[in-house]
Amino acid sequence: MLAFALTGCAKEGISPTGQDVHQLYNVIMVLALPVFIGVEGALIWCVVRYRKRDDSVPSQTVGGNRALAVFFAIPAVIVAALFPFGEATLMKIEQEPTPLVKINVEGFQWEWTFLYLNEGIFVSGKTASDTAPQQPAQMYLPVDEAVQVTLTSRDVIHSFFVPDLLFKRDAIPGRTTTFTFTPTQLGTFHAQCAEFCGLWHPRMTFDVHVVSPPDYQAWILQERKAAASVTCQPNGSTLAVVAHNISWQDPQGNGVYCLAVPENTPFTVSITNEDAGIEHNFSIYDSFFQQQTFFKAPKITGPASETEQIQGLPPGRYYFQCDVHGPAMSGAFIVGNPGEGHGPGQGPGEGQG
Amino acid sequence: MTITRSPAADVAPVPERGRLLSWLTTTDHKRIGILYLINSFSFFVIAGVFALLMRTELARPGTQIFAPHAYEELFTLHGTLMIFLVIFPLLAGFGNYFVPLQIGALDMAFPRINALSFWLLPVGGLTILSGFLVPGGAAACGWTCYAPLSEQLGTGGDLWIVGLILVGTASILGGINFIVTILRMRAPGMTVMRMPVFTWSILATSLLVTLAAPVLTAGLIMVFADRQLGTVFFDPSRGGVAILWQHVFWFFGHPEVYMLILGAWGIVTEIVAVFSGKPIFSYPGVVLSFLLITALSFSVWAHHMFATGAVELPFFSITTELISIPTGVLFFIWLGTMWRGKLRFEPPMLFALGFIAMFLIGGIDGVWAASPAMDFAIHDTYWVVAHLHYVLFGGTLFGVMAAMFYWFPKMTGRFLSRRLGIWQFWLQLAGFNLTFFPMHILGLRGMPRRIADYPPDLGWSFLNLVASIGAFVIATAMLLFFINIFLTLRKPRTAPDDPWGGNTLEWATTSPPPAHNFDALPPIRSDRPVFDLRTQGSGGDR
Repeated sequence: MLAFALTGCAKEGISPTGQDVHQLYNVIMVLALPVFIGVEGALIWCVVRYRKRDDSVPSQTVGGNRALAVFFAIPAVIVAALFPFGEATLMKIEQEPTPLVKINVEGFQWEWTFLYLNEGIFVSGKTASDTAPQQPAQMYLPVDEAVQVTLTSRDVIHSFFVPDLLFKRDAIPGRTTTFTFTPTQLGTFHAQCAEFCGLWHPRMTFDVHVVSPPDYQAWILQERKAAASVTCQPNGSTLAVVAHNISWQDPQGNGVYCLAVPENTPFTVSITNEDAGIEHNFSIYDSFFQQQTFFKAPKITGPASETEQIQGLPPGRYYFQCDVHGPAMSGAFIVGNPGEGHGPGQGPGEGQG
Repeated sequence: MTITRSPAADVAPVPERGRLLSWLTTTDHKRIGILYLINSFSFFVIAGVFALLMRTELARPGTQIFAPHAYEELFTLHGTLMIFLVIFPLLAGFGNYFVPLQIGALDMAFPRINALSFWLLPVGGLTILSGFLVPGGAAACGWTCYAPLSEQLGTGGDLWIVGLILVGTASILGGINFIVTILRMRAPGMTVMRMPVFTWSILATSLLVTLAAPVLTAGLIMVFADRQLGTVFFDPSRGGVAILWQHVFWFFGHPEVYMLILGAWGIVTEIVAVFSGKPIFSYPGVVLSFLLITALSFSVWAHHMFATGAVELPFFSITTELISIPTGVLFFIWLGTMWRGKLRFEPPMLFALGFIAMFLIGGIDGVWAASPAMDFAIHDTYWVVAHLHYVLFGGTLFGVMAAMFYWFPKMTGRFLSRRLGIWQFWLQLAGFNLTFFPMHILGLRGMPRRIADYPPDLGWSFLNLVASIGAFVIATAMLLFFINIFLTLRKPRTAPDDPWGGNTLEWATTSPPPAHNFDALPPIRSDRPVFDLRTQGSGGDR
């Protein structure tokens, strides 16, 4: 029963390493099944065969050391047979082929952000708000190419779990871990956080899209264009942003993906944090790679607000974010006329909105 | 609920209030044992209702009755209560009642400490439960309460910590008491290698408790200090190390798993021997297995942490697989004990057989999780939920039920109804498998644990419905059990001293035993003194 119920249920794996794990599942099943049938069979045999039928006293025999030695030897042989299979599979999983795609994955309560390092784009899930449903992050991957994930968390422990890869790895704050996999099957696959991480843990899902290389390139271009097309015009040297439901809004409650100020002119930013018990701040960088920091406000725990005076910046395209939540709470920061001049960074300010 | 009047009360009737007071102030290990059982089964009902509420929510995709936060409080307290206030204290309760009897002692070594370690339990349990009354609700972090999520909890988190510190202190005191009792209070002739295997299992459990529970208590104090006193142990945003908590917790938490099962192994080993009419196939083998498991259980903790990517995988994998060897030996010994015996299928034996059949599955499905590559796929999924319930419910709770039917006549002088017991057994077996077997498949299909809601399009819905139906079958079985106890306690005392043809000393005294336990002890020349007495020295000469 155990066997027939289970063998058909394990996922086959959409990567060679996932298929290796599936194979390991079957190997363990082959070793476990005789144990299961043997012990349950012997149990049933005893129940049927040795039911008490008369009042005679059964022979009061006990086993000696030899029997005991056999009892220890049988499971020891099984363990000795099993352990190398597990280790061999583990070594295959831990191989690191040269990756074409490198992604920094960050978990935070309760979404995921994926930063594509070579392509210079990022995508992030959007927490559900009063008006809009949750939009889980979408991860696009080219088929048959090695993908290297560098994983961390911005707050509590999460776990990056793609069932069809037969793999998960914990995202631990204060630590980064790296792993590599190669998806070889086209399709869209459900994935979600596997380590309990607080209130909306069940909603911390994401989708993995394994697509053909041309489709992948098209997706990259589309994301880049979408990011570059985010622009806005300065309207005075006073800015007001509101952190609400882990996203930036203006005081009227509209989403803010772009801020603009005149060039070389000092300006003020008033920051309101409406998320009770949650920390936010406001920082300006060259791009989401954060090679240069132009401004960093202290973190405030909501509900709270503060106003910052910031010195004038040379014209160009910058990037702002909340350092607690990263690219998931970010946008383009335009100084001066966006059509002219070059900012310190060429990275786009905002990915998928 | 009153279980029984003590023999002393028969001699000198006292007013009602005096009787209650005598239970509240008792230091008699038998009465404390019964208090343990009453307390544990009370929390069992609470934590069981929590489980039913969770299964009701999960029966269909979408959120029907609970907001996520309420669901998260339920699974946190279900796990915490079942582990710390139900399963462990049930075994400790049987230990309290039967270890002194089995070794021919008058009482525990420290009767007043014994009373203290009992009374800390309901206080600790109610402290944890009182989280429901404070703003922000009870702790919602899972029974493992990983850092730094634990730093985000409200007052309910502090109550959870304080309650567990009380419970942990209780078990350390109890563990020391058992060790001293078993080492120093044995009757003449009761050498260590003649001690009943249940007493051995409690000794092994107590060694684990006294070595591991202080680690948990220290860890809980560190979390409390982080939350309230400004220390930085576990919070990375202030310079702490998140994963340190997992090492501390599981250094306690894995020995804990064996604290929750060793006692049941002891019970089942004795019951299988008694109801097969044969001696234990290899008494030294049982003792050796218990001790090996006790020692090995301290070297496997990080197998709970394979998916962190921060532990030495092959070491913890091989120690975990090694521990299955002495466990496997126990199965052979149970089968060897039944082999060519004369099996009587009374309710204690039925539950013991159920234990062997179900615990086997819980042992085997753990092997997948012991292999790190496979564990990456199934860790923190419903596979693990299935595995731990096959061990703790299919294992320990079947063992506890076997013990209840086996020892109830000794504790109260009354037999639990055989008919109701057989009904309960089959319902419990069916309901248990209906609930937990499908969870293996849910885990393989990628359903993570601790989610109040799941999408309808992932192939999880039908199996969740099956599991929820099974949960109500289990509830029916438990209802039969409590009805059985209620009805039995209203019946006259008909149980003789030794109703089952027992082997161990508790069957050499009256049912229930007098306050001083024994009027006279039989000679102890083997691990089966009562068998020897019954057969007039015609066997059991080991």
